[in-house]
Parts: sequence; structure tokens; C-alpha cells
Amino acid sequence: MADDPLVVGIETSCDETGVGIVQGNTLLADAIASSVEEHARFGGVVPEVASRAHLEAMVPMIERASAEADVALDDVDAIAVTAGPGLAGALLVGVAAAKALALSLGKPLYGVNHLSAHVAVDQLEHGPLPERCVALLVSGGHSSLLLVDDVTAAVEPLGATIDDAAGEAFDKVARLLGLPFPGGPHIDNAAREGGHITLDFPRGLTSNRDLERHRFDFSFSGLKTAVARWVEAREQRGEPVPVADVAASFQEAVCDVLTRKAVDACRATGAGHLVIGGGVAANSRLRVLAEERAARHQIKVRVPRPALCTDNGAMVAALGSELVRRGREPSAWDLPADSSMPVTTVVA
Amino acid sequence: MVPVQLRTRSAEQTAEVGRRLAALLEPGDVVILAGGLGAGKTTLTQGIGAGLEVRGEVTSPTFVISRVHPAQQPGRPSLVHVDAYRLGGRVELDDLDVDAFIDDAVTVVEWGEGVAEPLAADRLHVHLVRAAAASGRDEQVLDDPDGQEGRLITVTPVGSRWGGVPLRSALAPETSSVAPETAQTVQERNAARL
Repeated sequence: MADDPLVVGIETSCDETGVGIVQGNTLLADAIASSVEEHARFGGVVPEVASRAHLEAMVPMIERASAEADVALDDVDAIAVTAGPGLAGALLVGVAAAKALALSLGKPLYGVNHLSAHVAVDQLEHGPLPERCVALLVSGGHSSLLLVDDVTAAVEPLGATIDDAAGEAFDKVARLLGLPFPGGPHIDNAAREGGHITLDFPRGLTSNRDLERHRFDFSFSGLKTAVARWVEAREQRGEPVPVADVAASFQEAVCDVLTRKAVDACRATGAGHLVIGGGVAANSRLRVLAEERAARHQIKVRVPRPALCTDNGAMVAALGSELVRRGREPSAWDLPADSSMPVTTVVA
Repeated sequence: MVPVQLRTRSAEQTAEVGRRLAALLEPGDVVILAGGLGAGKTTLTQGIGAGLEVRGEVTSPTFVISRVHPAQQPGRPSLVHVDAYRLGGRVELDDLDVDAFIDDAVTVVEWGEGVAEPLAADRLHVHLVRAAAASGRDEQVLDDPDGQEGRLITVTPVGSRWGGVPLRSALAPETSSVAPETAQTVQERNAARL
């Protein structure tokens, strides 16, 4: 097989219908349709609507990616698709489309793990991954620290959230502060104007007692509750809520814990590189703090550009291409969608 | 049926209520959880999961909307953990897509009030409210890094399934019950919030 396999990647684990095409570590096309606006019409996410939106967007996205990359589908080496974790009905649409495409074209099919794809995508931005790295994956649905020795075969969970995901905490605190969805960018923006008063919100699972059992785990539920209580107390006293200051202090608490534990994980495992992915990786404070703290220990931070951090098809294609290049076995034709696929399974 | 009211003093105690509740739960049971952000809905469900000894970490299902935790003990139900938070208000029950599991699992629905009732005629409604929020006093916010503020938990059984089930003695052998007059106040406040 060629050194730079040409692979189509399909991603439908949540709200985005993504179809990407890569050749080795070169990004050729990244077509994305989002059903977020459609959900806004319903006032929330409706799984049936998400699945239907994926179904409607799938063929147009495949066509757009193929045109953008100027690639005939007949010429690709393999089809990769997110097999899990994610919303069951949404995953199913992508898996079915990938199977149909692979079967009709006579190409191998790779059903891959969404989290591994978030790590592999950095190869499109910064070249081959180092032999050992720690990955911090932070989004609306995930907050994980992974030890990655080989993104195609050896991904080991170091820790994860025991309650709310980091992005979920951003969304819920944004709602408490009257900021729009999605909360991440709005809190990031509001926080730029904040910092006049500093509120010492709790850092979950950082006490010595907690570190014994949860050294690399996260907890953002207590932080969310503390913000809720602080805001309610102000409102009950009839005082205005200093939105920018609360946003800044909340964001500082989240980024403090994420970067502290990520750097600790690098040092504990001897990893010289920290890869950050997922939607929360777009947070400006997280990037600055991670760089600062990692540099103190000669650890290099790799964060792909925001468009590659959020869910997309290119990340699935990037992992698929690496799998083909390493000669990994493709998936069987009865590949299931697995909404709770364990992180240790890279290819289903 | 008479609601049972409990006061817990820590997240551990709230989870313990879930663990005790799990001992009463059977396949097909539906538990609907209500209460604001940070009220302890996921913490209580973590206790239910621990009590049922199901597989996998019970964490917030907000993003994935529902998560299935298979049973590990023979004869015990699995746990279907649903979260209607992202679904918004105007949603058909079918959209939850949980009825496929309901007969052989315990189904717990966070933010389920007004959405999940048609799932089952027999069900438990559990309201959680932060004690300070209930009393209107909420000053010592930052002195409490572990979020060890108490919770008032109201469990309301609905349907014949729960007739004669000793909820109070099963749930509150040690946790202090709320004094009747406080319970009354809390009930009124809860009613006002709905």
C-alpha cells in the first residue's frame, strides 16, 4: 500500500455531518453540515431530527468533499467512519453510508473510535505523532486524558470526567449567566472583559485525598453548582450579576484543572508532547495556560486549528489513512454502531 | 400516595439515597428526576447505578441524551440513564427512543418532568433542591469547595406498583427526616417553582 493512502472519512456521532478526504497527512477536503440550526428551531436537540439531518446531508457532503478534493471516489484506498462513541441513531446513519460506499466501490471499511480520530487529526496540522504523547480531549461530551503510544493500536485511558464534561459545564454555566448556546465561545468572549474581581471557584478532584483515587480524573459538577449558588445569592440580594467576572473565574477554574492534570499526566508517563483536541480546545485561556505550564517542563503542546478540533470528517479520514499505512485489518461488514465504544478500541 | 421527604448533608449522602432506592427497583421501573442545575440528579443516579451494580461509570448523559448500563448481576435490571436537558420543551416522547429498553431495565430520566410521564403509569418522581436555595439563604458559597451543601429530596410514588412499598423506612433509616413544618414549606416552595 502507498505511503500516503487516500481515504474518505465520515463522521456523524453528534450534530455534525462531516465528510473529509485526506492523502496521508495532507488534508484535501473537509465538508461539514451542521444540524444545530435545525435543533434551535425545536429549542433543543431531538435525536430523530439529528438522524434525519444526517441522512439528508450525507450524499451532498460526500459529493462536496469529492469535488473539493478533486478526487474520484473510485480512486480512494479505503472508507473510514466513526463507529462510536456518540448518539446511537446518528452513528447508525454514518455507518450505513460508509458500508454502502465501501461495498459499492469495493474498498476496505474501517469503523473507528471518535476519540482516537480527535488525536489523529493533529497529524494533518503538525505531522506524524510522536511515539508517546498524552492527549487531552475536551468537548461537550468528553473530558478525557489518554496515553497514546500508537494512535492506531495503543490508546490507554488515564482519566476522564466522573460527572459533567468540560464543554457541558461551559454550556450550562452560560445558560446560568444568560449567555447563548454554545456556551464555550460566549464565555471565552465575556471573560476577556472580566477579572476585575476574582472568585475562587472550586477545583474538582484536586485535594490530596481525591488525588489518591482520581489523579487524572475530572469533576465539573461541583464547580457548576458553586457558580449557580453564587449567581442565585446575588440575584436574591437584588444585586446585578457581574457576568464577565463570573465567566472569567469559572473559565480559570476549568482551565486550571485541565492543564494542571494534563501536564501532570505527561510528567508521570514521560510523554514529551501534549495533544489537545475537542471543541473546548478552541478556548483561548486553555491554550495559553497549557503552553505556559507545559513549557516549564519542556513539554511541547500540539493543538490543531479550531475547525479541526470540533467534530469533522477529516479527523476520521486522518486516522483511516494511518490505519491503512500501518497495514491494520479493516472492519467486518457487520460493523455495528456502538454508542458506548470503549476508548481502548481504535478499530471496531 | 404520600411523598417521602429526606434531607441529605453531602453528595455522598445523596448518592446513598440512590443506593437505597436501587434496592427497591425492579425491571420496568421508571424514575423521573427534577431539580435545577447542580441539584444532585446525576449524583443520585450514580448511587442508583452503584446499588444496581451495573457496568460502566455513571456520568452526566446530557450530551449523549441516553446511556445504557448493562446489568452485571444475574436477575438485576440494567440501567437506562436518560437526560432530557438538551431536548428542550417541545418534544415527543418517541424522540427519547427509550421505550425499546423499558421492560427489562430501570429507566432514570433527568429533566424528565413534563416529558417522561407517559413512559409508565407507575413511576417515582424525585425532586431535588439545594437546601440553601430552598431556605433562601445562600451566603457561604465559596467556603464550601466540595459542594457539601445539603439537599432536600422529595420522593413521590405514582401508581399501584408503589402501593405498600415502605419507601420511607427503606430510604431514610439514618438520614434525618425533615421536620413536618419544614417539609410543608419546602413542598409549597417546590409547588411554586413548577
